[in-house]
Amino acid sequence: MTMLQDEDLRLLRDSVGTLLDRAGGLGRARSVRDGDTPWDAGIWQELAAAGVLGAAAPEETGGLGMGLAAAGVVAEEIGRVIAPEPVVPTIGLAIGLMQRLCPQDPMLEAAIAGDVMLAVAWQERCSTGLSDVIECRFDGTTLTGSKDWVVGASAADHVLVIAEGPQGPALVRIAANASGLVMRPRPQSDASALWGMSFADTPAEVLAEGAQVTDALLNAVADTTALAAAELVGLSGAALALTLEYIKTREQFDKPIGSFQVIQHRAVDMHVMQEVSQAAVREALAAMDQAGSTLERVRQASRAKARACTAAQTITREAIQLHGAVGYTDEFDVGLLLNRALVLSAWLGDAAFHRRRWLDANEKEVAAQ
Amino acid sequence: MTDWNAMSDEEFRQEVRAFFEVEYPVELRHLPHRPRFAEIEHWHVKLHAKGWVAPAWPIEFGGMGLEAAKLLIFYEEQQRYGVNRGRDMGIQMVGPLIIKFGTQAQKDYWLPRILSCEDIWCQGYSEPGAGSDLANLRTSAVIDGDDFVINGQKIWTTMAHDATHIFMLVRTDPDAPKKQQGISFVLADMDQTGVDVRTITTLAGETEFCEVFFDNARAPRANLVGEINKGWSMAKALLSFERIFIGSPGLAQNALGQLETFARGRGAFDDPMFRDRYAEVALDVEDHAALYSYFADQLKRGETLGADVSMLKIWVTETYQRISELMIEVAGPDGGSIGPLQVGNVSVDVLASFYKARPTTIYGGSNEIQRNILSKAVLGL
Repeated sequence: MTMLQDEDLRLLRDSVGTLLDRAGGLGRARSVRDGDTPWDAGIWQELAAAGVLGAAAPEETGGLGMGLAAAGVVAEEIGRVIAPEPVVPTIGLAIGLMQRLCPQDPMLEAAIAGDVMLAVAWQERCSTGLSDVIECRFDGTTLTGSKDWVVGASAADHVLVIAEGPQGPALVRIAANASGLVMRPRPQSDASALWGMSFADTPAEVLAEGAQVTDALLNAVADTTALAAAELVGLSGAALALTLEYIKTREQFDKPIGSFQVIQHRAVDMHVMQEVSQAAVREALAAMDQAGSTLERVRQASRAKARACTAAQTITREAIQLHGAVGYTDEFDVGLLLNRALVLSAWLGDAAFHRRRWLDANEKEVAAQ
Repeated sequence: MTDWNAMSDEEFRQEVRAFFEVEYPVELRHLPHRPRFAEIEHWHVKLHAKGWVAPAWPIEFGGMGLEAAKLLIFYEEQQRYGVNRGRDMGIQMVGPLIIKFGTQAQKDYWLPRILSCEDIWCQGYSEPGAGSDLANLRTSAVIDGDDFVINGQKIWTTMAHDATHIFMLVRTDPDAPKKQQGISFVLADMDQTGVDVRTITTLAGETEFCEVFFDNARAPRANLVGEINKGWSMAKALLSFERIFIGSPGLAQNALGQLETFARGRGAFDDPMFRDRYAEVALDVEDHAALYSYFADQLKRGETLGADVSMLKIWVTETYQRISELMIEVAGPDGGSIGPLQVGNVSVDVLASFYKARPTTIYGGSNEIQRNILSKAVLGL
């Protein structure tokens, strides 16, 4: 990475960080949770104006064209304050799919500008959990079937759906108020929701068809997975910072508990884990910007998510322990981070899932050589 | 003379790699034990003829004069190909000490003898009562005419039985107000009455560590390096580069390669449980390398490393141990067997690997001491 890129990323981090802090920082996650607005549309517009949503999108579509490394910086800052807006799914899935499959569609620019909100429905549930078969059918004009684990559906103006169409896999678009669309929220530990959706003869418009859809989806999901990892890095960094502050000020036996060696060593282990996670995820994102093959991008995305999930789970759980009893109360912010880490870890595959995928990809790469 | 620093990193890497691959004796690759000098002398002769004995030393003293970026590449290639570091106390420690703090006469006399391995050095730091608490050392050096008279005991002195000289930290002022004060650096001849070396047998059954006893041994006053009673800060200054080296990925990467070979040969990759645990340690190695690059980049930009570099050592040594433990598990009922185990057409010595991993979390500042350093200097606790 060049000095210039480093400097650009630093400026982006500063501007996004300042924006989010001014909006209320970590406190906003709590107030949004306790209020009845899912998120503040004004903040969404501000983020879009700062170029956040188009960080990785090509310049000709209205993006910044700075690659995944830049989107990763954004995701880290989102994670640091656990901003409730669906920034990562919008960048990675919605914009990621459209920039690959239908870059000319005016809605792409509108999404990057923050004027329209899109949710993406691609996963399907079967009786044992996640299904790897697409059963949702698109007949050329309407959509029938069901989807699950959709993020950000409550505020979406449109939903992009992956379905099986007359020409094979298809990316189609439906309006959020389309007929035959039923949405059911599944409440999550961080007060967000993952949505189940069913479609019955729902009017849909095709955006792309054929094998390119499968490839674009694979890449967009890899991007989103790596960005979720970056979000987790920001989150675990925040949990560590809160914990360090707490153990320096909380006194027992007439001393700050951070003066006890057992606490110090546990804090050091959290810190080391955080540093490894941050270095690995940033390296993976930069590698994805350089990677030639989809397989290598998938491998790096799994590497990033496996590491970031492990680090964030460990650090947030240790953070609760080092806070002692108050860590178990809703009043302390560290619990918000723990709850968000649970959701982000489960979404798009946890550490064990991605270790498996990483090893499979490694072996495929070796076999191909 | 070639200006190595003017080469691109990649050109230099290829140059170093090619030299090792052509010239390094195959039977010495990835030695599982620390060799006596006689075992590797033929390699040292080649290295000396090439002028590559001391990659970090300035060219004027017979080194390669490598800047940090090139030096890291040199060490990476050395580890990758399993090139033995040789008797490197002279190269890594005594040379830099004399170059930095020695007199002209000391430089002229000692440095060429280090390069040629005419003198072989060992390091006299630890004592029975001074391990992690090194400043507690008690071996004394008292001025008597033109000599120091040395009394006391050093321990864990690596390969002292193969050394002709020892560079040591000694107490020259027993009345100094702080124990870090009153310590000096002295060079002494091992071949004299009054110096007695006894080997220590390790868990691996090897004798690479020694105890060295000093009973009225003598060293000329001219062998004092730097100012008297200022040895402690000099010793700390010497450790700066060592601190990234001790956390470099090589050992763990090599062990991971061995684990993979062994586990493939034993069919362990068919077991989903093993696959997960393998992926875990393999990612621990790959992700450590990302953090290592972060520090290496600092060095390349000419920055001085901070205390946070201790992280590398903690992570990589503990990963190395987990890999070696996993290798024992894969061995199953052979997990306690001495010597190489045959898998396909290669053999892997799982016990040797296991033993080799154990002291890494103890030496070079135990991992607990490293955690103390990070806690204080980085986290501010």
